[in-house]
Amino acid sequence: MNLIGISINHKTSPLELREAVHLTRDEIVEFIPSLKKYLSDGVVISTCNRTEIFGFLQLHGFDAVPLIDSLISFKPNLGIKTEHFSKYFSCGAVKHIFSVASGIDSLIIGDSQILGQVKESFEISEDLDFSGSVLRRIFETAAKVGKRAIKETTIGEGAVTVSYAAVQVVEKIFSSLDKKSALVIGAGETGELAAVHLRDKGVGKITIANRTIERAAKLSEKVNGEIISFQFLNEQLHNFDIVISATSSSNFIVSLKDVQTAMKKRRGSPIVIMDIAVPRDIDPEVKKIDNVFYHDMDSLKIIVDQNLQKRKDQLPYVENIIMEEMISFFGWYNSLDVVPTIKTMRSFFEEIRQDELEKIKHKLNEEDFSKVEDMTRRMIGRLLHNPTIKLREYAETGSNIKEVTNNTVILKELFNLIDNKSSVEEKKI
Amino acid sequence: MLDSIKILNLLLPFLYGTAFSVYLFDFFHEKKSTNNSKRVILFVTLFFHAFYLVARMIEYNHPPITNKFEIFSIIACSIAFSYFILELLTDIRGTGAFIIFFSFLFQLVSSLFVADTYIVPDVLRNNLLGLHVVSALLGYSGITISAVYGLLFMILYKNIKTNKFGLVFNRLPSLEILEKLSFYSMVIGFVLLTVAIVIGIIWLPAAFPNYSYADPKLVGTFIVWAAYGVGIAMKLIGNLYGKKVIIFSLIGFLFGIMSLIVTNSLAKTFHSFY
Repeated sequence: MNLIGISINHKTSPLELREAVHLTRDEIVEFIPSLKKYLSDGVVISTCNRTEIFGFLQLHGFDAVPLIDSLISFKPNLGIKTEHFSKYFSCGAVKHIFSVASGIDSLIIGDSQILGQVKESFEISEDLDFSGSVLRRIFETAAKVGKRAIKETTIGEGAVTVSYAAVQVVEKIFSSLDKKSALVIGAGETGELAAVHLRDKGVGKITIANRTIERAAKLSEKVNGEIISFQFLNEQLHNFDIVISATSSSNFIVSLKDVQTAMKKRRGSPIVIMDIAVPRDIDPEVKKIDNVFYHDMDSLKIIVDQNLQKRKDQLPYVENIIMEEMISFFGWYNSLDVVPTIKTMRSFFEEIRQDELEKIKHKLNEEDFSKVEDMTRRMIGRLLHNPTIKLREYAETGSNIKEVTNNTVILKELFNLIDNKSSVEEKKI
Repeated sequence: MLDSIKILNLLLPFLYGTAFSVYLFDFFHEKKSTNNSKRVILFVTLFFHAFYLVARMIEYNHPPITNKFEIFSIIACSIAFSYFILELLTDIRGTGAFIIFFSFLFQLVSSLFVADTYIVPDVLRNNLLGLHVVSALLGYSGITISAVYGLLFMILYKNIKTNKFGLVFNRLPSLEILEKLSFYSMVIGFVLLTVAIVIGIIWLPAAFPNYSYADPKLVGTFIVWAAYGVGIAMKLIGNLYGKKVIIFSLIGFLFGIMSLIVTNSLAKTFHSFY
């Protein structure tokens, strides 16, 4: 199999280089025609942590340099060198694609977004008529690997970001989030992530407070929330069941007294306060108040580390799935030989029949000849029925590859069959 | 019939032990297979237990409330039954081990020491008394379950407050759900205690001509009942939240148990049959 692949990812290069070669969807569409010089069909995957090209070479040999050069010339950057790329060939390339789709090769192990990105990348190739049947089978199997990893293991479970861990703790305190109101202080990247997680979890009402009112308005629009004035947020604190703070302030924004006052107004009703800012925004002394659940970066990181370890523990199970699907895929791939063998075998027997019929054609009248012709057709059909069915079965199930190969070779040798070249052109040698 | 009773008497602790073990295993390992099978095992256990109690009633010709060990068996059954109903209503299946453990314990003691009691005082053959006892025991089961959920709430509360994100954090439902389960059990317990008290008041003059409403057991039970009533009312009008509800439930439970021990062991009461 002359499948080849190159990858620049978080293991091979720093972020600035990965950013430099990152391709948007439009850029991939623009880039693919230049790859057609080297590849008969292929796929370009580009996410924030990796850019990869896979495909079948037009010519024999495994030279990955032209692919790397074409990417560098499309996205020129002085810092990028060939050493920043990993290269994959044949079954190594297939295994890598499966690993990427399952999320075990991601920066955050078990990342669930990558499966969708892999599927989308293949769809672009299909749209541009840059995908063959073998490549399609590889990416279909990759999607299957990704789905099995999610379904059969816990590789994607548990919060692995601080903002998501904060939401996980919230879920351990409140059950019906749709009846809760949340305040997100700070509309930066972390605050935004937390607000989005809260929205995704169905929190009833989300309010944003930020020094710059425009940023607060933008985020509130994104999460269908409201905004309150940053200056008066302490006066409104009692109205919220969940408070997540992620500002860059160097002083406390919410003091112990603010929370004590809010708790009095709430008549002791529980409140969750997540301080995911560094330095902290909220006085940690508030954790001593009854029914106040205060957590900061350190405590949330405990959850993140635990969940990352749990995901790492799942790696052997995902690798087993990859191995099973590799066996299944290569079973199918190797059985592609069977189809042309069947055709050749049937043609061989048909030629013999025609040859023998030709010899007796002038010795029989038309009616008798027709009977002999029918009889020989039925005879050949019955003789070839069982071997044809068996070989097709092997081809369709893609199993018993050793048996398939042995039987195919024996069949070819016994009858001195020569493959019809056009039948195998689909298979990438 | 007697043979069936003997066999079931031996079988029930084993069944409760199995149900408890499966619930406990599922708490630690959370397997799909045990998650479904544990409910079936509990149902089968309850079915056999109900059959056992009915069989005793028919065989001995009185409700199975004539000695402490028969009462223990009813407590085991009522705790498991109350939990089963709660699990069906809420579909929260992760806390069964902590409740069914009590059923296992009560049934084990009952099975070890229960005797054949054909001859009992006439007063204990009364069906109204049977209803009174069963509703009282179900009521106490309710407040026991409420206390167990309260305890689980306090453990999870402390775990979250002190950043312990281990097994308890991962397996128990949220604090709000534990609070609700505790509160609902408390309400069910309160309602059944109310039924027991009402039946008692109706039946009392007919059974005991020398009864007194100042009897320590009656007074103790009434205080427990009134305390729960006040707590429930406070929660409903919105003056009790979270930890306060749970502390109320736990104190109420302790008070209830203390009241039972004191009135049964120390005080002189007409309300004692064994």
